[in-house]
Amino acid sequence: MLTSDDIRNRTITEDGQRMLEKAEHDQVRTVWDRYQAQLPQCGFCELGLSCRNCAMGPCRIDPFGEGPQVGVCGADADIIVARNLGRMIAAGAASHSDHGRDLVEVLRQVAEGKAPGYQIREEGKLRALAAEFGISGDGRGKEAVALDLAEALEEEFGTRKKELTLVRRAPEQRRALWTKLGIMPRGIDRETSEMMHRTHMGVDNNWQSLLLHGLRNALSDGWGGSLIATEVSDILFGVPRPVHSKVNLGVLKTDQVNILLHGHNPIVSEMIAQAATDDDLVALAKAKGAAGINLAGICCTGNELLMRRGIPMAGNHLTTELALVTGAVEMMFVDYQCIMPALGQVAACYHTRMISTSDKAGFPRMEHHEFHPDNARELARKLVTEAIENYPRRVPGKVKIPVEPVDMMAGFSVEAIVAALGGTVQPLIDAIVAGKIRGAVGVVGCNNPKIRQDYGHVNLTRKLIAHDILVVDTGCAAVANARAGFKVAEAAALAGPGLREVCGALGIPPVLHMGSCVDNVRITMLAAALANALKMDISDLPLAAAAPEWYSEKAISIGCYAVASGIYTVLGPMPPVLGSKNVTQLLTEGLEKVVGATFAVEPDPDLAADLIIAHINRKRAGLGLS
Amino acid sequence: MKVVFVRPERCVGCRQCELACAVAHSRSQTLAGAVFEPRSPQPRIHIGVGALGEPFPNRCRHCDPAPCQAACLPGALYREPKTGSLLLNPDRCIRCASCAMACPFGVIRFYDEPLQARIKVLAHKCDNCVTRRRHGQVPACVEACKAGALLFSELNQVLAAKTREVARSASFGPRAEAAGEPGAMTVLREFRARLVELGEAK
Repeated sequence: MLTSDDIRNRTITEDGQRMLEKAEHDQVRTVWDRYQAQLPQCGFCELGLSCRNCAMGPCRIDPFGEGPQVGVCGADADIIVARNLGRMIAAGAASHSDHGRDLVEVLRQVAEGKAPGYQIREEGKLRALAAEFGISGDGRGKEAVALDLAEALEEEFGTRKKELTLVRRAPEQRRALWTKLGIMPRGIDRETSEMMHRTHMGVDNNWQSLLLHGLRNALSDGWGGSLIATEVSDILFGVPRPVHSKVNLGVLKTDQVNILLHGHNPIVSEMIAQAATDDDLVALAKAKGAAGINLAGICCTGNELLMRRGIPMAGNHLTTELALVTGAVEMMFVDYQCIMPALGQVAACYHTRMISTSDKAGFPRMEHHEFHPDNARELARKLVTEAIENYPRRVPGKVKIPVEPVDMMAGFSVEAIVAALGGTVQPLIDAIVAGKIRGAVGVVGCNNPKIRQDYGHVNLTRKLIAHDILVVDTGCAAVANARAGFKVAEAAALAGPGLREVCGALGIPPVLHMGSCVDNVRITMLAAALANALKMDISDLPLAAAAPEWYSEKAISIGCYAVASGIYTVLGPMPPVLGSKNVTQLLTEGLEKVVGATFAVEPDPDLAADLIIAHINRKRAGLGLS
Repeated sequence: MKVVFVRPERCVGCRQCELACAVAHSRSQTLAGAVFEPRSPQPRIHIGVGALGEPFPNRCRHCDPAPCQAACLPGALYREPKTGSLLLNPDRCIRCASCAMACPFGVIRFYDEPLQARIKVLAHKCDNCVTRRRHGQVPACVEACKAGALLFSELNQVLAAKTREVARSASFGPRAEAAGEPGAMTVLREFRARLVELGEAK
């Protein structure tokens, strides 16, 4: 039996607390219960000291020094920790990059006229990106340019290049450094594939070169796979522009057909969004007794829809099960990444129908309907119809919408920020030089049941903006900060005097929503644009990143490409590296001399903010700024 | 007489001892076989979790005199003199749970015992691996522990070693590892404790 203290210890969110009470009443088990059941977790694994890479093992190293100090093959703690971290990076980079590839495939099918319902919405961005790949647009239609661009982007995944094309956006000094260190990313799939090779038994047993390749693998994500995902999503679905919306479980409606869209890739959800506005389907919803069709996003698919269409946001990672506990969801669509396999079980306690949509992501207790560009529009219509037909099956006594939604703004793509600044980044540079904005920090990443939900994100962000540090955010962190009310213009009152003045002049919140977790590249592109405008390296600037509640391998890849790009990064939860003093020391200190940035680990958001403020002060002093 | 001595400060929470114990009390005696046995073998050692997230290996102490034995009305619990182990006669157990009520450590559970011919839920407790020991093997949990949390030794020998450790820590302060420098597991333990403290609503 959960006490009210137990519930408050799980989440700081009011909607979450109310839904945990209901989950207890409805006897629904959630991620927090499953986490408790796993305790204590394996210390070998938490230290990174267990290895399952071959069948001479599995092996583990005794952290107390008395038992075995090497695996069967002879790998010591340094090698095992570095190999394990390398494979985490590879998995994270592969996830973002495969997501990017899916978008390139849609772009190709649009160009070939085989994707009804999809279109090129941003011809300007298409032509600009094509020009970066040396594709001429002169006198050619957008489909022809798109076909060439899709071909060129597919090449980025291969092995026929010395370096990825889009690294040219990085400052010259940074590119020279990557080349000097031998970590210039060559092909997106190549670096992941090479990491799997290096970490096979008997290949790379030098922990330093393993970690350097880890940085290259992460760069192939940050300046390759993720970047392609974001750029092509913008071309197909629109470049985000500032938009008002609402957030938390209050966005679900008692009198409407509620459809939730969960996952990461906008390919399916954009088609659902089109179908849900279809007049015939709205009329059908009314005929079934509903006031309309209400779409809401959750997790990063939600962020994609929020950024481009202002579709309201139901919650982040740890809210996904609780959203179903409202009993008010007719249908949830999932694509891939961060979809807990427990969701089908939770949905089975209510009338909710769960639809898995990706050919590469299956889940227990879900109905599988594969979406492809050629069938997406028709399938979306069919399933939205079925969601409407499910509305009469809702059990009113089991429905509880816990709170009223909170207002928010989103849609701050780099393009939108530059436009708000009047067409160049110079006003932002001026504000930083004048000290009105002391620096900028990307607060990003997931939720993790090891940290009270949103506690890390919200408290870190609150302290940073109070110290005149602009916060840009993505992913689950962005949802947390919106839910806390930081994303309305009035939230400028929470900022320090300088940031408050800048936000007031521009009519923007002190925390800017930059998108989903693949959209972390929007943050690095903004950092690169600032550095290029100043003819400096990214590591010279008063910038930092934080992942206060990270859990996923993707977050490890993001953290590594941020650090390798010169951005100091503070993690909340501990990555599995403590088993090797050498690896830990390199990540937290040694990398400063290598790439001009390091990791830090600090789970207390108050102390994490102090680390970041001190870092920004040092960088400002380095630039001769007060 | 050798005993299993527990050093909870060494436990990393990997739960390998639980697996090894279940396998040692299975019909097949192998992990691959044990997981498919219809009458699933169960561990007799349990890793609990402390208030700060720290693991605690909880195992029968084979007390003497034993409260469980005193509470056992049908006389199903008896002392095996050679190893000092307190064992259960399954034919006498009536599943009254008096032993479990009397046990101050909560190490008696109730399961169907796959090594018995009869299918019957009865008291289920550590037998100090008396069968393995007849074959010259150490208890399965001790063999599985790679972190030194479970030692199989003469009690006074372990305690002599512990005296040396305590004496060293008096020289170097509470973190005696490597002459004052905290080891990885100590750092991880402290980190876990901080997460627990941070997670408590203020």
